[in-house]
Amino acid sequence: MTWLVWRQYRLQFSLGAALLAAFAALIVITGVQAADQWHAAQAACAASHGCQNLFLGSHAVGFLVIMTVGAPVLVGLFWGAPLVAAESEAGTTHFAWMQSVTRKRWFAVKVGWMLLAAALWGGVISALVTWWSGPDNAQQLDAFNTGRFDIMGIVPVAYSVFALALGIAAGALVRRVLPAMAITLGGFIAVRAVIALFLRRHYLSPVTAYHSVITSFTPSGSYWSLGMGVLFPNGQPVDQNTNGNVLNGVPVTYLPASCNQTTRGVFTPPPSCTQALAHFRGYLTYQPAGRYWTFQGIETGIFLVLAAALIAVTAVTLLRRDA
Amino acid sequence: MTWLVWRQHRGQYLIGAALLAAFAVTIVVTGTQVADQFHAAQAACAAGHGCQRLGGLFMGSKVVGLLVLATLGTPVLVGLFWGAPLVAAESEAGTTQFAWMQSVTRKRWLAVKIGWMLLAAAIWGGVISALVTWWASPTNAEQLNQFDPGRFDIMGIVPVGYSLFAVALGVTAGALLRRTVPAVAVTLAGFVAVRVVITLWLRSHYLSAVTVTSSVLGNYGPQGAYWRLASGVLGPNGQPLPQPNNALYLDGVPQTYLPHACTVMYGPNPPDNPPAACAQALSHFREYLTYQPGDRFWAFQGIETGIFVVLAATLIAVTAVTLLRRDV
Repeated sequence: MTWLVWRQYRLQFSLGAALLAAFAALIVITGVQAADQWHAAQAACAASHGCQNLFLGSHAVGFLVIMTVGAPVLVGLFWGAPLVAAESEAGTTHFAWMQSVTRKRWFAVKVGWMLLAAALWGGVISALVTWWSGPDNAQQLDAFNTGRFDIMGIVPVAYSVFALALGIAAGALVRRVLPAMAITLGGFIAVRAVIALFLRRHYLSPVTAYHSVITSFTPSGSYWSLGMGVLFPNGQPVDQNTNGNVLNGVPVTYLPASCNQTTRGVFTPPPSCTQALAHFRGYLTYQPAGRYWTFQGIETGIFLVLAAALIAVTAVTLLRRDA
Repeated sequence: MTWLVWRQHRGQYLIGAALLAAFAVTIVVTGTQVADQFHAAQAACAAGHGCQRLGGLFMGSKVVGLLVLATLGTPVLVGLFWGAPLVAAESEAGTTQFAWMQSVTRKRWLAVKIGWMLLAAAIWGGVISALVTWWASPTNAEQLNQFDPGRFDIMGIVPVGYSLFAVALGVTAGALLRRTVPAVAVTLAGFVAVRVVITLWLRSHYLSAVTVTSSVLGNYGPQGAYWRLASGVLGPNGQPLPQPNNALYLDGVPQTYLPHACTVMYGPNPPDNPPAACAQALSHFREYLTYQPGDRFWAFQGIETGIFVVLAATLIAVTAVTLLRRDV
């Protein structure tokens, strides 16, 4: 059976491996340059002032790295969707399922190798991207942000496994390749968007920190900011969408005249203004940086469970179906 | 023939129309809200003290904003799901042998099929783009960024060119490979590659860019939604200054190039204007800005659309020649 799987899919697997190799070469070469640049800059920064606006790597490679957000769905489209659907469409299931190999074993071996290949695809891409982005993450502290979280760590493995399972399930149920591909693409984007935009922030209850508006507050590390604002002394939020001047997050219409900033550069408010500002409190709702791997684990778990459920549905459907 | 095309592709066309309708409802409902918000803010600005904070005004929901941005990917869908199977699915199923033996000539079969599909693709790209352009008009007026890569690509007439190109690429890939799934893969990869190369490397050269130099003490910004290509500061010798990451800057000039008189400008409560010795030193530096002016937006849209329509026409010609010469 393993030999059959290799014979049937060697083209797809070879293409996937070639793409991975090309991507790896590009990332390793540019990543070494970016890391050198980073270490040189760190030394220079330590010698003098803080480092801002450091630009790492080329625009084109940075763009390619962002594009890996779409890599997991490719295995669903081009490996998963045709797995059963292409055989159904060509009628070769009639032949395949009449051999000495049971239908259960046929399905298990095919799906097993495919899942392994999908996990490798997601894992290799993610490992390269995570390594390449190391200096960027250290500098921008944005590894937890939506869009960055999704291309690093272990979640791309789960996305790939899920995309593949979705493709196989769609192909097995619809029995036609092209509609199965369309369903895989639509379904993958819908599930990823809903989880990334609406569910992820609720995996653990966020932390809300209150602080004086005069001193700014920044949690340590790559925290994920979910919301921030300023509260009146009575605890009501201040509407910051005004057209006037804003001082430390407070619109000047709520402050005494002494707060009106007239000089350029750094403004040191007079005591009467500082006193008025002291009544306002700022808040920041966030997920602390220390939860990064917990969130990666939870998200990976969700997608693996979804993938397992899809594979189970497919197995039950196929084993019950007349050839 | 037209009836045949409708019977064969009605599933695809109906799904496309349903997606367009759902998108239109979302955009029109949220776009009306955004426009109201914008007009209210504008009225408030006109009534009171100028709009210093209008840049921070949030336009519409993040989710719809993301959906609008995601329309970058819509042109390729017609290439994948309409274009690639057009010939490939018939070749794969062997139905070309039947289709090409009828009283309808192969030329007419191809012309009618591709013609309707190109029309449908143009409508797909045009309707999405019209909705996005309308939805984004308050944001464009506020951010002045419609010339930037990524925004330029989802507005105006270029999405029509992209959609036509995607369908033509799909049809060609399917006709040459004669198998659907590889044709889909080639269409996806080819579309992304052509779009990326043109956007990142060719587009900025359609017309020669304008470079303006001005005193670093002034504050020069071109009118309207210009596309900034490069900017920096020229030293007294006319050469661009290096911009190290670990330096303090005054008006874009690194501290190391300036006399001691300038140090007060970095402290707390800097004076409104630099001391005379510092201003004197600063006056030797000039800043430059290389950009495409905002009024070239439609010229660039036209050039880019032209490029993609020509590419599409070439692909269709290749397909026609290949198919008309091929033995069934």
